[in-house]
Amino acid sequence: MVVLHKKVIREIKDNKGVYVACIIVIAIGLLAYTSMSIVYENLERAQQDFYQSTHFADGFIQLTGYPENKVQALANLPGIDQIEGRIVKDVNLYDKNSSSNRSLRLVSLNSPADSTLNQLQIEDGRLPLDGAAEILVDPKFYKANHLSLGDKLTLILEGKRISFTIVGSAQSPEFIYALKSPQDLYPDPQTFGIGYIPKNTLNALVKEANQVNNLVFTLKPGTDFAAVKDTLQTTLKRYGVKNIIPRKDQTSHAILSNELTSLKGTAQTLPIVFLGVAAIILYTMLLRLIEQQRGIIGMLKALGFTNREIIRHYLSYPLFIGSLGGLLGGILGIALSFPLTTLYQEYFALPGLRSTFSLKYLFLGIALSLAFSLLSGIKGSLNILRLDPSEAMRPAAPVSTRKTKIEQFTSLWRKLSAQAQMGIRNIFRVPARSLITVLGMAVVFSLMSVSWSMQNMMDKLTTFQFDSVQTYDVKLSLTRPVGTKATVYSLAHEPGVSKVEPVLEVPATLKHQWYKKEVPIMGLTQDSTLYNILDKKDQNVKVPPNGILVSDRLAKLLQVKVGDSLTVESPLSRERISTDVNKQTLVVQGIVPQYVGLNAFMDIQALQDFLQQGEISTSMLIKMNPEEISTFKDKFQDANLVSSIEDSQESKDKIEKMMGSYSFTVYFLAVLAGIAGFALIYNSSIISLSERQRELASLRVLGLTPKEVLRVITSEQWTLTVCGIILGIPLSYGLLSGIAQGLSTDLYSIPAELPLSALIGAAAGTLFSVWVAQARTYRRIKTLPFVEILATKE
Amino acid sequence: MTTLLEGKAIRKIFKTGTVETEVLKGIDFQILEGEFIIILGQSGSGKTTLLNILGGMTQATEGELHYQGQPLHKASDAELTLYRRKEVGFIFQHYNLMPNLTAYENVKLAADIAEHPLEVEKVLTDVGLEDLKDHFPSQLSGGQQQRIAIARAIVKNPALLLCDEPTGALDIQTGIQVLMALKQLNQNYHMTILIITHNSEIAKMADRVLFLKDGIIDHITVNEHPLAPEELTW
Repeated sequence: MVVLHKKVIREIKDNKGVYVACIIVIAIGLLAYTSMSIVYENLERAQQDFYQSTHFADGFIQLTGYPENKVQALANLPGIDQIEGRIVKDVNLYDKNSSSNRSLRLVSLNSPADSTLNQLQIEDGRLPLDGAAEILVDPKFYKANHLSLGDKLTLILEGKRISFTIVGSAQSPEFIYALKSPQDLYPDPQTFGIGYIPKNTLNALVKEANQVNNLVFTLKPGTDFAAVKDTLQTTLKRYGVKNIIPRKDQTSHAILSNELTSLKGTAQTLPIVFLGVAAIILYTMLLRLIEQQRGIIGMLKALGFTNREIIRHYLSYPLFIGSLGGLLGGILGIALSFPLTTLYQEYFALPGLRSTFSLKYLFLGIALSLAFSLLSGIKGSLNILRLDPSEAMRPAAPVSTRKTKIEQFTSLWRKLSAQAQMGIRNIFRVPARSLITVLGMAVVFSLMSVSWSMQNMMDKLTTFQFDSVQTYDVKLSLTRPVGTKATVYSLAHEPGVSKVEPVLEVPATLKHQWYKKEVPIMGLTQDSTLYNILDKKDQNVKVPPNGILVSDRLAKLLQVKVGDSLTVESPLSRERISTDVNKQTLVVQGIVPQYVGLNAFMDIQALQDFLQQGEISTSMLIKMNPEEISTFKDKFQDANLVSSIEDSQESKDKIEKMMGSYSFTVYFLAVLAGIAGFALIYNSSIISLSERQRELASLRVLGLTPKEVLRVITSEQWTLTVCGIILGIPLSYGLLSGIAQGLSTDLYSIPAELPLSALIGAAAGTLFSVWVAQARTYRRIKTLPFVEILATKE
Repeated sequence: MTTLLEGKAIRKIFKTGTVETEVLKGIDFQILEGEFIIILGQSGSGKTTLLNILGGMTQATEGELHYQGQPLHKASDAELTLYRRKEVGFIFQHYNLMPNLTAYENVKLAADIAEHPLEVEKVLTDVGLEDLKDHFPSQLSGGQQQRIAIARAIVKNPALLLCDEPTGALDIQTGIQVLMALKQLNQNYHMTILIITHNSEIAKMADRVLFLKDGIIDHITVNEHPLAPEELTW
């Protein structure tokens, strides 16, 4: 049988093009599988290890203030295992010679003796001494700002500048993905980091001494978070609870988990798509091979080879291709997992995240690839069984050709060239194979269109957000609610400021039937031009004078439609004495798209009335002369009332820079799809060419040019490709809405819209890959030895 | 001499759609061990069909066929495969060599599946191609290709060698060389050889000649003094 292996290898060598294309498609699938699976495992392992070793909390509470000495008593509440209180405070850094506003989230450190939750892993240096002006910063901030031990950081605390000495860098499980606000898409360690200061040091510097504003706790095994939350809400009611969230909603954890989920999803689906395309190619290729080698099969049967031996021989083609593609993809995947892991290290501060050399996925990948190849191979080679040896030695009977349905439209049919007529008849001559090609092209098209619409999606999350939604230049967030009129008045008189709009952002729990969700309600002015709510057609939607607007994802989560009533609870609402405590209902007036963040929107006045508060707001949106922004920031960033100043242009630039590297991945997928399309069509061309070489050679003898002969094959392929594209449109919609549903989170919603440009782009890409394949086929036709072909016996 | 193959009332009917064609219309024959037999007939007389049935390539529609007393007409596909593997060697008019295997490899392919194969090198020497063993079929002449086909058929050391118009595609000189090689095998290895042809000149070298006409054996002649291949001419 060794001799037959030589036959396989020589035949593969003679038909390199198709086989290489097929190996590439398989390798791509396996590359995605191996690299992503390894990275997934690295990330998950690092996450689990880090959470375990640092005792990451199960629940997080934000409140206005809670007496420190009463924290331990909370551990007696049913279900709570351990609980700790901290002060968490965002502060700005004072930079003498830099205008960029860097800020730190300060977290107080309890003494190591009585602190077990969310422990720090020290990367460099040591813990700060209690009472001393010493600080630990997170490693990303430390590195991005080129800090070293002993450097000083000047913080603006309660309006005063206080200098701290850096004694080390340390990582907490809470800030693996350190976002300043959940609305940011990426961490920016250059301007935002986490600082850790001993509790007593911080206590001495803040107004609310001996109060904590942040609690973290773990649950006893088997405890239901919702029940504990209800208890806590009642117990802590007097202390201004802003939110109580489980670990799964904690920003850093949620992002990391979401990344893990999507990584796993991609690692499982992408390879299947590519292996599926490869299986189609292998299957059609094998069918062709067996058809072509009828005589050889008959001869092998005459020699006394058993069916099993012959099938095994023909299976060795897909198995050879499968194992080579699998091995290549697997090895490249292992290699790619190293830079990919490094890329994740850039975004996620996970101390244990390391690249590992894993053969497991190489073997699994090869097994997967072999399984697909074998499946297509067995399906393709079963025809061997049906061949009677004496039958096999004779040439196959000509395939019966009947008139096709299209020919009933006589006038249309007559207009077609003879080549087009031949092509179309050929489609119906082998309907199963034509269908497979159509399916393959539909997959290729939808992969491309989805890649293109990812670009659109990225635009919605970035450019669209900045150019159309948040059209302000500066957003000034306040540390506590302030009277609107006076603030707007004073800001409006600052140099360069042309418009000021107040915003009231209120944390709230929205309930509908048994669904509930905690989201910030945004109170906007009726005629707001600095924050725009836009409908699907990008038309401005005004906040209604009464009632509430919800984002479409929120509407889905709460299962509400326009006209439904929502129960709204908010810690900011004044207690009512007579009515149902803290509860009130609002009618949903509209459902609007929202891509970044998850919000409900109201008229600011209606919101104030609803909360039974006076005229208050929590931030100011400002339109101003760009040249004055830096002076404005200098003036206000140290102010006591100001928690942060966001420069819209700066945020936009930052995110666009990040997106630059992202768009590469998007196009990468499109290119991969193109290669698959090429392989599919090239294979089909080679099959047509070998099956019909006599027919084509006759045409050449008749005096047709190679180009005219090519048209016989191409007219068939263009028809199939166009059918594939048409079928690909609904497939793309399905794929995209699956992706959108899978990837949308509270931080951003992926729009499931397929813009026309994506469809056009994908169609162009698909047609281009077909054209390239045909150009290669043309070279073959030009060298077709037609005289010899016609001279050989049929 | 003992009987190697015996056929009784063999009929073969082909069905194409609703049309039935009776190619063999009830044939009786006996083939003895070590015989050199020629089946002579015009095209369409059913000789290739008969050869295919004898070689276990296809089954008769009716009738009995015994090989060394074993009923081949009752054999399953797997048993027929085993029969072809162990007992039969085929030689075809168009050689049917593997185009991408060398001469040596083509022969080795058959040797690999045989129980008691002859030595590949020796068989190649016997057919006079030891110097060309690394050539691919496309690099060989028709006669050389047919001699490789012969080597491939005999390397399995079969008891029965079936040849379908072995000289049909060759010029007279090359054809005679091929026939000489076959005659030698018959004499040296005591191999039973059955050749079907429409060339009546070749019949002169056979021990017995079966004349096939319209699906029945018209008559059988016995050559008391068969000619040597080199005495033939056409």
